[in-house]
Amino acid sequence: MSQEDNIVLYDTSKEIKINGNFNGSIISVEREMNSIIFSDNIQISDQIRISGGLMVGFEDLYNEKVAFSKKADFLWSNLEECTLEYVVLIPKELMDQYDESQFSDSFPFTINMLHTAGLYLDESEYNFKIDHLDFFKGEIIKNPVSLIFNGLTVADRVAIDQRGDPVFYDCIIVGRDQYENLKVSYDPFLNVKIDDKVVKYIIIIGIEELKL
Amino acid sequence: MLLYENKKGKLLTFLKIGLNPFKKFVATGEIKENIDLAESRFDLIESIKKIIEKEKNIILPVIGGVGTGKTHLFWTLKNKLHYHNTVYISLENVYRKFYYNIYSEYIEEMGPEILRYITSELCNKWGAFERKFGFFHDPADIDKVNKIAFERLSSPNFEDKNALSDVINAITTHQLDPWKKVEAERWLLGELMDSRELSNINLQYDLRKSSYAYTILKIIIENSKLKSVLFIDDFEKIISLMKPDKESEEIFEPNWLYGDGTSSPEKLAAEKTLDKILNLHTIEGLNIIITLKSVGALEEIKSLVKERDITLLSTFKEPIFLRNFEENDIYDFYKKNLEEFLININYLDFLKEDPNIYFPLNEKILKNIYHKTNGNPREIIKYLIKIFNDIIYSDENLEDIISRYENLAIFQQ
Repeated sequence: MSQEDNIVLYDTSKEIKINGNFNGSIISVEREMNSIIFSDNIQISDQIRISGGLMVGFEDLYNEKVAFSKKADFLWSNLEECTLEYVVLIPKELMDQYDESQFSDSFPFTINMLHTAGLYLDESEYNFKIDHLDFFKGEIIKNPVSLIFNGLTVADRVAIDQRGDPVFYDCIIVGRDQYENLKVSYDPFLNVKIDDKVVKYIIIIGIEELKL
Repeated sequence: MLLYENKKGKLLTFLKIGLNPFKKFVATGEIKENIDLAESRFDLIESIKKIIEKEKNIILPVIGGVGTGKTHLFWTLKNKLHYHNTVYISLENVYRKFYYNIYSEYIEEMGPEILRYITSELCNKWGAFERKFGFFHDPADIDKVNKIAFERLSSPNFEDKNALSDVINAITTHQLDPWKKVEAERWLLGELMDSRELSNINLQYDLRKSSYAYTILKIIIENSKLKSVLFIDDFEKIISLMKPDKESEEIFEPNWLYGDGTSSPEKLAAEKTLDKILNLHTIEGLNIIITLKSVGALEEIKSLVKERDITLLSTFKEPIFLRNFEENDIYDFYKKNLEEFLININYLDFLKEDPNIYFPLNEKILKNIYHKTNGNPREIIKYLIKIFNDIIYSDENLEDIISRYENLAIFQQ
């Protein structure tokens, strides 16, 4: 089976589960906390194991919602209790495209956050509002991750335009089509209107988390 | 409506403006030559191409007398070797700052875009763009990347470890430090820099320092996707520099400064240059073509190489000989030049009716030139320039000029 056939490794709604050890760029979406796990490996058998993944999401802390990113090993030994919604392996060609379009090396005026922080959190979804978009208007921020409608995007950078809407550049997008099938695509940029209420959250991953 | 056009008359009018289809009789490494080699040399080009594509780290001597087209051969090879960086160096002009000059030529051939690509690939190899958690790139720790690169590249081939360390630093700074990228690129492009500029990017010397130029040359060539060919013209310059000119009067005794009475500064420079050329052998994937005027010169070069390192003799391939034109070549050569000239003046229509026309000359004149010059291309061009100058600037009728040159006797004068 080629890599292309194995893009969706696990999907509860479509009852897909492909056993094996997989390496590459893997995104797993966890439904209990609405969080995303980024990893370079996953083992799927009668259990699911991710070694050294990075979980990103929002957690409750002193009656507030606070963005987090945590490095950890994850193990679901009983699949019936597994909280993963789906796992996708991003094709190498898309990742190569994603790598090629990174531009921070030649463009120094990009903001790197030291620690992971929430840029936006939709109040209607979480009963708690975070909106720093106005503060960052006209700025470019590195390493955004966003849960949008029925999918997610991980991008190299996000620029906040003059209307306060985020524009993601160099994006890997994972989402479901009209038949609820999971699809993966690459886009040089993704323009989202915040008033459309499709963005659930935007988290900026801190560079401290990315140092091994 | 134009009913009839005197095409020959029109071409003559163009010529009379002062345009000579044959301008220069000496090819240089700087001015591009578009005209292909003569037909009798096609096999020769093919055999050189085969050797270059098949072999690695060889020295291929090309032997040909004065004016046989050795430098022109470079341009043909450059046009034919599509997947190679083909670089020209003439020892007549360049024997000082040897590595620096080769590097400059190499970068000019390659262009800054490819240089940026190679430095990016190198940093990638050294772990700078490693993906964390399958996706993210760590804002690279330049010191860590430098350390990895130094450990990987450190080998006896890089004698000057300071040079290696600085070259690695320049490459990683170029890719990973956006604030110093511009200065690092200037350094990599071989620009001369003062000590303040150098200290800003934490480097000791620019590429004028021989060991630095050699180190960067080796790293760039070995990591280029294309193979490299270095074409060294006038190689016997090494021999002539080593032999003192007996006729010149020595006012200054070199041994006052250089110790050994037998060594002149030129001889020392020539010996150093030969050592540097032989050192290029350690650059993986670099093939060298050298041009010489005679077999004797090749033998002298070989004996000099033998004195230094006998094992290097095996890198010398059997020489390829560049001979004078065969008779058919002069007609072919004339037609190609005329066609190129007509393209340049936007008058290719001239050849529509009769593509084999030799106007304003004729077959007989070309034959006379061939016999007078024994087919030496440079001499042939000299005659063609002279005849065309007569046509352009003389008040004589074209018929008179042509009939004059149809007579072989005029070539004997």
